[in-house]
This record gives sequence, structure tokens and C-alpha cells, in this order.
Amino acid sequence: MRVLLRLHVLWTGLIVATTGALLAVEACWALARPESGTLLVPWRVRPDRLTGISWSQPLVLVCAAALGTVGILLLVSAGLARRHDVPMTAPAEEITVVTSPHSLARLVGHLVRAQDGVKSASVTANARRVRVRASSTWQSDDQLRPVLLHTVNHLVRDLPLIRQPRVEVVVKAAKDRR
Amino acid sequence: MSRRSAAAMVRSARTDRMVATVMALIALTGGVTGLLVGTGVFGTAAAERPLVGPIVVGWVAAHRQGALGIAIVAGLLLVWLGLWLVLRSVRPERIPDLVLDPSPAAGLTVTAAALSDAVRTDAETVPGVARARVRLVGDAADPAMRITLWLQQGADLRAVWDELDAGVLGRVREALAAATVIPTAVRIKLDTASRQRVV
Repeated sequence: MRVLLRLHVLWTGLIVATTGALLAVEACWALARPESGTLLVPWRVRPDRLTGISWSQPLVLVCAAALGTVGILLLVSAGLARRHDVPMTAPAEEITVVTSPHSLARLVGHLVRAQDGVKSASVTANARRVRVRASSTWQSDDQLRPVLLHTVNHLVRDLPLIRQPRVEVVVKAAKDRR
Repeated sequence: MSRRSAAAMVRSARTDRMVATVMALIALTGGVTGLLVGTGVFGTAAAERPLVGPIVVGWVAAHRQGALGIAIVAGLLLVWLGLWLVLRSVRPERIPDLVLDPSPAAGLTVTAAALSDAVRTDAETVPGVARARVRLVGDAADPAMRITLWLQQGADLRAVWDELDAGVLGRVREALAAATVIPTAVRIKLDTASRQRVV
């Protein structure tokens, strides 16, 4: 998202620079050759025709909608362009240590999949929460869930994290066999 | 954790966010205003009014040269602003050298490449570290170090950590005889590589 944000700023800069250059060039041309047409831009803005365009015209509404959409996209990009690192305790004052949510999820995922009775597992993690979704072919939710909760909590407590995330485990248990 | 070391973790996106937010607010304001007026929320009379008022058009027609002058200045300002945005976006992150002694008589500078290579090689000897990447960030007056470590599966994180601070970074401080500590941001990627089997 940070890369996307930088791209947004890049294309915005290109549009602004191009618009400015065209405006300056056409204005200079109009000043130098008032009777001739435009130099680069293929249409000429006639002041008397401008007064004939009202706010309610479809083109104006479409442009307004497009502008609003671009504004929303830029705002969302700016809002989401934050790193969601998981801070860890640092060994010294001038050191900052972090890991990524993806890293934490991978570590927990390996551990969970290695447990007896776990057929598959998916893990999502962030600084506040670790959520494990596991499925089992032969163990019930009551059997497997406490084991996984204990194991993951133990792992997470062992990690030097600044804030201990809350661990949630959901088990899709085996169907009852009769 | 200090502010300087935390700031070294990633290339700052604060200016990009500010620029995007300002552009977003301008675009949103224009878009929302256009839609509200054009769809008749403020009345049919407002919706039927011209986009550019006859007073403005009359003024421009009467002061053609002045209006063109304003357009030229506005155009040049937009070019300057646009180029600044583009250059900011494409400019790579600065990699400062470390100036240990700025005196002209006996200046001593350690290049970023030399220091990064040395620290990376040292970090990769730490048990449990599969790979390391090191770079200097910031500027010559305020350098910092950014280290990324890829740990092997099952690596003892605390042991890696202790060795990193006491060993790797301790040797950097010793070698540079630095009066001030270089703020360091460490990103740890856990559990990335399998342990190598020794047959």
C-alpha cells in the first residue's frame, strides 16, 4: 500500500506538472499570438461558451463524480499506507525490534500444524490478536481446542513481544462417527 | 526503543500521506460540491447557473493580458509543484556514509557499503540467522542502521537477540569507537528457512 501511495503521488505530480506546463505554454502563446489558435491543446476555450455550461449538465456531473472517486481512492490509500508491524521488546535503548504479522502467523501456523490431530490450519495475526482456525479429522472441538490454546499461548508468551496478543482458536471438528 | 531507531524502520511515508490527503480533500470537495449543486440539492436555480459566472468571464475578457499573466504564473507554479512531487516519488532513499571525524586535517569516513557488508557478514554468523540485510539510512548528520534478519525454523529468538546486541552491534560500537550509538532498527522475519540437514 505504501508503494501504491507513492505511485498515486507520482501520477498526481505528473498530471499537475503537465497541466501547469500546458496552461503556461498556451497562455504565453495566446499573449504572443492573440489572433492565432492554440499551440498544443487541440481545443480553444471561448469565454462566451463557458457561460453556457451549467452545473446540471451531464458532463459536469460525470467529472464531479470522477473527481470525488479519485479523492476517495487517495484518502483510502493514505489511510491504509501504514505498516502493521508487531513490536518486540528491544535489548537496548537505541534499538527498535519488530516482526511482521505474516511472520508471527507463519510461526504459529507451523506449530499448530505439527500438533497431533490437526489436519489443516490457517492463522492470521497482528499485534493485538492471533486467530487460529484448525480442522481435525478425529478429534472434537472440546479435545483439540484447549490443547491448541495452551500451545499457542505458550509460544506467544515465550516471544519477546511488547504486547501479548489475545489468542483465539476455532476448531472445525470431525463429524461424530457412529 | 527510541524515536530515532523507530523512525529508521522504514522509509518515511509521512510526506506522501500528507500530499495524498491534501489532494484527496481538494478532489473530494470539488467532486461533492459539483454533485450537490448539479443534482439540485441547493435548488434548481443553483443547478442551472453557469459553471463559470458571466462576471468572471467579463473580467477575463476585459483584462485579457492580466488574466493570461495570472495563467502563466499559475501554470509555472503547477509545473514546479508537479515536478517536486514526481522527483520526491522517484528519488531513492538516501544511503549516508558514516563520518567519524569531520576535521579537514584528518577526516575519517566509513562508507555505507563497507559498514553494511561488515555488519551483514557478522550477523549471518549468528546461530539461527539464515540471512541478513543491512543498510544505513538517514543522513550524514543523523545516520541510523536498518537490519533485517531472516531466522531459521526453530531458531532461539532470545539467543539471536542477545548475540545481536552484545555481539554484532557491540563490535560495531567498538570498531567505530563511536561516541554516540547508531540508532538501529531491526526487523525479524521468523521461521523462514528450514534448518540445513547435515548428512
